Amino acid sequence: MRIKLFTGLVVFLALLAFPLAGAEGYYYRTLSMIFLWVGLASAWNLTSGFTGYIDFGAVAYFGIGNYATALLMTKAGVPFFPSIMISGVLSGLIALFIGRYTMKLRGAYFGIATLAFAEAAKQIVLEFDRTFKVRFFEGSDGITLPIAHDETFFYYTFLVVVGLIVVLVFTINRNKFGYALKAIKEAEDSAELAGVNTRRYKVSVYALTAILIAVLGGINAYWLTYISPLDVFSVIHTINMIIMALFGGTGTVFGPVIGAFVLSIANEVIGSRLLYTWLLMLGVILLVVVVFLPRGMIGLVSLRRHRR
Amino acid sequence: MRYLKVVLCVGILLGLLVPTVSSAQATKFRIGCALPLTGVFGKDGNLVKDAYTFWADTINAKGGITVKGKKYPVELLFFDDKSDKAESAKLTERMATVEKLDLLLGGFGSDSLFAATPISEKYKYPVISGGASSNKLFERGFKYYFSTLGKATEEVRGCVEVANIVNPKPKTAAIIGSDILFTSLAAEGFRESLKKSGIQEVYWELFPLSLDDYNSLLFKVKQKNPDMLLVGSHLKVALNVMKALKEVDFMPKLVAFSYGPTVPDFVKSLGKDAEYVVAAAEWAPNLPYKDAIFGTARELNDNYFKRFGRNPDYVEVASIGGALVQQWSIEKLGLVPPLKEADRVKLMEELHKGDWNTVYGRIRFGADGANVDHPPVAVQVQNGKLTTVFPKDVAEKPVLYPAKPWKERK
Amino acid sequence: MALTLQALVTGLLMGGVYAAYSSGFSLIFGVMNIVNIFHGELIMIGAFTTYWMFTLYHIDPFLALPVSIVSVGALGYVIQRVLINRVVEAPPMISYLCTFGVHLILSNLALLLWSADFRTVTTSYSGVGFSVGPITVPIARLVTFLIAIATTVGLHLFLEKARYGKAIRAASQDKEMARLVGIDIKKVYALTFALGAAITGLAGGLLSTYYVIYPQMGLPYTIIAFCVVVLGGMGYIPGALIGGLLLGVIQSLTATYLNSGLSVAITFILLFIILILKPQGILGRGIVE
Repeated sequence: MRIKLFTGLVVFLALLAFPLAGAEGYYYRTLSMIFLWVGLASAWNLTSGFTGYIDFGAVAYFGIGNYATALLMTKAGVPFFPSIMISGVLSGLIALFIGRYTMKLRGAYFGIATLAFAEAAKQIVLEFDRTFKVRFFEGSDGITLPIAHDETFFYYTFLVVVGLIVVLVFTINRNKFGYALKAIKEAEDSAELAGVNTRRYKVSVYALTAILIAVLGGINAYWLTYISPLDVFSVIHTINMIIMALFGGTGTVFGPVIGAFVLSIANEVIGSRLLYTWLLMLGVILLVVVVFLPRGMIGLVSLRRHRR
Repeated sequence: MRYLKVVLCVGILLGLLVPTVSSAQATKFRIGCALPLTGVFGKDGNLVKDAYTFWADTINAKGGITVKGKKYPVELLFFDDKSDKAESAKLTERMATVEKLDLLLGGFGSDSLFAATPISEKYKYPVISGGASSNKLFERGFKYYFSTLGKATEEVRGCVEVANIVNPKPKTAAIIGSDILFTSLAAEGFRESLKKSGIQEVYWELFPLSLDDYNSLLFKVKQKNPDMLLVGSHLKVALNVMKALKEVDFMPKLVAFSYGPTVPDFVKSLGKDAEYVVAAAEWAPNLPYKDAIFGTARELNDNYFKRFGRNPDYVEVASIGGALVQQWSIEKLGLVPPLKEADRVKLMEELHKGDWNTVYGRIRFGADGANVDHPPVAVQVQNGKLTTVFPKDVAEKPVLYPAKPWKERK
Repeated sequence: MALTLQALVTGLLMGGVYAAYSSGFSLIFGVMNIVNIFHGELIMIGAFTTYWMFTLYHIDPFLALPVSIVSVGALGYVIQRVLINRVVEAPPMISYLCTFGVHLILSNLALLLWSADFRTVTTSYSGVGFSVGPITVPIARLVTFLIAIATTVGLHLFLEKARYGKAIRAASQDKEMARLVGIDIKKVYALTFALGAAITGLAGGLLSTYYVIYPQMGLPYTIIAFCVVVLGGMGYIPGALIGGLLLGVIQSLTATYLNSGLSVAITFILLFIILILKPQGILGRGIVE
């Protein structure tokens, strides 16, 4: 445990100090992107990895976060940090409502229900203005946010927020809340019988995930300066979260971190040069992981330790 | 310790991000372009890539860009933005700050350029595109964004004004379009043009790009029985609309698309069903344009065919036009690679001043970056070939009007 | 009035298309409990098969259908034996990863081989239809509709009456029991997957005549298949037909009386509500864990 904490701290401090080296904006941008995915994958893992309820609609909260922040900043003049907080809270409230109903479902049904929710959210944002003859979401025109600060601002914001998320996951992993979640994953009915209020735990963690994803979404909106429904509500983002978490190892703290790091960098380095071939390779890598490393990359680390 | 090893590996991976930047080479111009080579605009992005490649090869055959008597070959670097906005922005940042390229060229797609141009504006890289024309792109007060295409609402004028030269003149029109930036603006452009031409708009609907069922939509249009159908589209939407029109058995007297029919795949895929279709264009091979590098429009058309086995779409020629005027401006200013920021500022100012005649036609950028002196044309598919039909003074043949209903075609 | 009738007809025909390409998905989930994320790719390959048969060899797409059926069915069989077999007993996360990996491989391989171009099959009779009073009925879609009904009925009868069909049903109801009575589960699964894939390939082949096809078309179709099958009841074959028709009609009516954008929104809102209220589907015959 202490080794993990120590290395985590070292990495965090190194990243914090990195801008002092004075690199080009591109690096901050890329690292910011990596941090974003580490955060998203970790947040997704908090619900899906720990409870075993595979959420296929996580992007809905990402979109909600993006839009809430964008609307607050452009239409209500709310400054950035309060905006992302409010977005998080709003998202959490919506998730409490949605989770209350979706979490009655199991397995693939939960997945499809959450997917339906995410797709519905996307369409609603697209069609709302036209249907009700108002100017609110701006539909496909998208929303342009005020031109942002330089890249280091976002670098730090992402780094700190994501750092907090990882610490949060780490804490939950070791406390009673996390224990209950894992019990739900292993044997929900038994846990229920033993007196655990599984529904409360499930919905709570789902709402927590929603808050985290929404906050990241809010930062994303300001960072990109321009958002539109088809991007920020795209199912591709959920798929990325899932793949990164699965690749690194769900149900663990650092699995999604590693998964997101490795896949983001690989995508950046190989993906932008080798076009379709990268995705092809990723598909093969995933199959290899499925067959040989069912616990994800984390499995690599633990495997060796157990062999000693 | 295990975790330290993992972290080390990650660190090495991060190191891979640093590209092999060559030491200061002053023997050529390195020009970069972020464009969609995969994804929903992959096809269009590849067309633009071919266009720039054609330009580079043509001038490199003569040695390259000539500055102060010395020749500098051009090296093109393409980056795939996967039709994704955020990716486009990231790549632009990378081209400017990491690859430290001399120049940039615009990609394709209003959405991508919308996201990428704040970056190029920040780093003072002029970006000329031949593949993005949404009005919003020009409403941000940017100085470094230029487009050889006219504004989207202007571009589609030809589709509507062609109604003025046919007999009897259409009285009613329906407008549909996919609900994304360029095509919805095209739809608005149609609307304005209809008002100016005194034609009544009887139907309007924007639909999601992901729509499967075009039949329901077109049955509604059929019910209104408009003389003209105007569609804000890219290739996929255009194909879908044509297939649906046949299925619902409706053919208005005139069908016009903002984009799609000028891509060779349209005629190839639809065969005879593509006849009579009108499309907006900003270039056609029979127009009286020429320049010293590419010759006449007809010659460019034929040479392009020899090289790629297809005729160039107007977006491709617009892209070539953009690359050309950037080249001429550099030659005029005597800018030598590697270009510094101050050089690019001068370049930007020169681009705003210029007024050129190219194989693409006249290019003159307004203060907002849009091409102001480029008259749109309209082409029609006649016997499987794109034929210029509007304006009358450059028309190859008269408009085939009205279009024959489906059941009457052989 | 005429517009409503036309909308109904259009919706039913759309529904036939939906049902055609969704029943395979239902079968696979019902029997093996696998959410097949590369389902859309099976459709895509079926579509491209008829496309190439037509473009390269000038074979009419309807005549080329058997090729689609066999090739996609065979592909399904192979993938099942080599990959799916390994993960069919594993936790669902693993099967998602697995089928997603195959999705990536198939769609990007197609992209590399065939480029991102949009294609469609246009024959001399493309889009041709006949009129019943004021209603227009495109023939190709009517054929798809009829085939959808035929395959649904055929599949249902197969599962009820045929020996292999009953074995499949036994395996889906109680794996351990089925093993005990001597049913080779691995074989059953392979057959199921091949069958599901073959039906999907058939639907894909038909699609190429009235839709625009391209290598990355798969994922949206997979999502719709989800919707259809949930509406009708997962694992219940006639449900795919009912779900498809229902979805088609709802979309068509919404598109006609509201607008097309809302028809897509309504699809997902409806799906969500059904799942919350009645996850076994409209008819209550679906399998729910």
